[in-house]
Amino acid sequence: MAKTEKYKGTHFKPSAGDRVFSVLNGTFFALFTLVCIFPIYYLFINTISDNSLVASGQVNLYPRGIHFNNYVKLLNVNDLATSVFVTLGRTVLGTASMVLASAFVGYLVTQKKMFARTFIYRAIIVTMYFNAGLIPWYLNMSMLGLTNNFMGYVIPAIISPFNIILVKTYIESIPAELEESAFIDGAGYFTVFRALMLPLSKPILATIAVFGAVGHWNSFTDSIILMGSEPKLYTLQHRLYIYLTSSSNLGKLMEGGSTLTASMVESVLNNRVISLTVSMITIVPILLVYPYMQRYFQKGIMMGAVKG
Amino acid sequence: MRKNESGHASVVMVVLRLLCFLLFAGAFIPALNPARLSELIGENVSLFTCALSYSSIASEFTRALQRGWVEKSAISTAYTGAVLAALGIAGSMGVFCVSLGKLKMKRLSAAIGIGAGVLGLSSTAVLLNAASMFTNSPNPDRIDPMMPVGVWVFAAVFAVQIILCVIALMFLPKPTAEDRYEIEARYRLFLMMLPFLALVLIFSYLPLWGWRVSLFDYRPGFKLSMDSFVGLKWLRYLFDNAATRADIMRVLRNTFAISGIGIATSWLPMAFAIFLSEMRSNGAKRFVQTLTTIPNFISWVLVYSVAFAIFSTEGFLNWLLTSVGIIEAGTNYLMNGSHIWLKMWAWGTWKGLGWGAIIYIAGISGIDQQLYEAATVDGAGRFQKMWHITVPGLLSTFFVLLLLSISNILSNGMDQYLVFHNPINKDSIQVLDLYVYQLGLGAGGGSTSNISLATLVGMLKSIISVTLLFGANKVSKWLRGESIV
Repeated sequence: MAKTEKYKGTHFKPSAGDRVFSVLNGTFFALFTLVCIFPIYYLFINTISDNSLVASGQVNLYPRGIHFNNYVKLLNVNDLATSVFVTLGRTVLGTASMVLASAFVGYLVTQKKMFARTFIYRAIIVTMYFNAGLIPWYLNMSMLGLTNNFMGYVIPAIISPFNIILVKTYIESIPAELEESAFIDGAGYFTVFRALMLPLSKPILATIAVFGAVGHWNSFTDSIILMGSEPKLYTLQHRLYIYLTSSSNLGKLMEGGSTLTASMVESVLNNRVISLTVSMITIVPILLVYPYMQRYFQKGIMMGAVKG
Repeated sequence: MRKNESGHASVVMVVLRLLCFLLFAGAFIPALNPARLSELIGENVSLFTCALSYSSIASEFTRALQRGWVEKSAISTAYTGAVLAALGIAGSMGVFCVSLGKLKMKRLSAAIGIGAGVLGLSSTAVLLNAASMFTNSPNPDRIDPMMPVGVWVFAAVFAVQIILCVIALMFLPKPTAEDRYEIEARYRLFLMMLPFLALVLIFSYLPLWGWRVSLFDYRPGFKLSMDSFVGLKWLRYLFDNAATRADIMRVLRNTFAISGIGIATSWLPMAFAIFLSEMRSNGAKRFVQTLTTIPNFISWVLVYSVAFAIFSTEGFLNWLLTSVGIIEAGTNYLMNGSHIWLKMWAWGTWKGLGWGAIIYIAGISGIDQQLYEAATVDGAGRFQKMWHITVPGLLSTFFVLLLLSISNILSNGMDQYLVFHNPINKDSIQVLDLYVYQLGLGAGGGSTSNISLATLVGMLKSIISVTLLFGANKVSKWLRGESIV
């Protein structure tokens, strides 16, 4: 890309049409970027502004009456702390087990000596394209006792065919001589994996780790489907969903002209502020890892396009 | 002579491994649970679950224990039996693994197999003991004692296992001094893979067993028995029942419309990437790319939260429009049921456009720069270069993604539509995935839910999707000589 830039710049003066194009193009991208980013900024200024102004929709471009009590208040909201704990727990445990499993399985499927290797590899990959459907999956999970059980978040996510492909492709790009010499030196498969493959494939493992972590952090349908009767295990996103739907329902009642008790009005306001604030605390961790993730986007996507 | 003997032995070994596998699988089948000595123990509880948690057996007995209908020792005996059976099965899994080794390992596995078999048979004895404790209860009607068929099945398999192990020990030649406890590399690798293979089987293939529900009249909490077997009733119901047919038609219309809009605009990320690469400043390019990718990483709940903040009555849009003077009073746009398909597409695009462009941006950097230079020398303008060099260079990526999205036409995913649906837009937002969820599990599995029908619809969806995928793959092979999956 850099080459074209230089080329365009040095050899030709931009014509009038070129300039018009550049302005239009730039304007479009500026607008689209604004549309992508403004909502997050908007959420943020609403969580730190005066709550009564927020509730009546008067905080729109800049914060007014700045305070941070909402974040402090969240500490007192029931169940939110457990949700944060559950979500953090599944993110850490789920990501760690998925990364380790993907690394090991990805390494194993590169071993040509393995009994029934091709068959096993295909049996794993096929599950990416074919599944039994939501209800049989749910019945299966309930049969295994993984409904209303924290492990229901972690165990099914250990095997991730796509990530296994990524690791396998990466390991295949590592010179085979390294492995062979390790074998000659008397290393076993576990040793080669631990001392050679694990450190060498760190970049791709970092890639799948961040993506896996974001996936765990963001998931809520499994919480809704599996943890129905165990509110202690609701994830943060599920909690947020509940706040949002209840404040939307209460808001609807208000619009319908139903008479609301003062406590109901209070809870509408509260819910709006709470859901905004919870939204911010669920977005922030993602924004924090985002710069780190970005390094791996291109690599991850391009490698995904290479089939093994 | 010796060779012939080991021939027999290897046949015995294969049968033995098969038995061990069956024992393993049996531990996950609730219908074969040998520890289900009373109707009070859930019919969806497998031996595996029983052995893992005492409460899976004891949970329903609280009242029975209080009233003295059953002794606590009966329950703990049943649990002990379950644990012993599970240990026997674990031993058999050990047999499976060790028997893949060389001669000495094979002999070892046969010895383990005898031990595991004895353990298993002792579990049968313990369970029979527990069963008699249940039957001798002062009030058998209240605890419904039963003799699960699994007790006899597992006892029989364990007995056969012992016999086979003895035969194997007889047929296997005596190890010589050179024999060691070792396993060939190919089987060693296979054994390392085995736990993960088991996970794949349990979580991706075992659910297929749930398809049988579509042939039954399934009610949560009741047993699938021949009484509730209805054959193809639900398939006929799907076509004969006017209300269901209308539902399906509506749902399919939504699904095809939303997927169709997505497919018709699937060139957008490519255009985004091409125009982005026309921007002069590299810094600006990176800036735009960084910020437009962020929405991809926030969940649909958060997207809904954003939508709620911006489009509700007190939201930003109403403020903007009223302060500019276009409208006088705010309305809640989320409670408006019109143009739902387009709105859903717009949210999908907001979330995914920047992300979708990355693969094309990578593609553009892979195009040979000499092509552009040659074209410039030939007097090609900016748009001519874009159209004749960049677009053809990205077309094959575009084509693969297009085929994949066509084969995914029935799968819109559920997250987005679940968070955005409400009573006002429900008729035009319910896509197939959401329909299956709401039909089967929505409303808390209440009286309106129909698990059997939902299973059937999901099953048909899976079959059609995979057919479409293979079709797309064929098309790709035929047109480009490359497969996409």
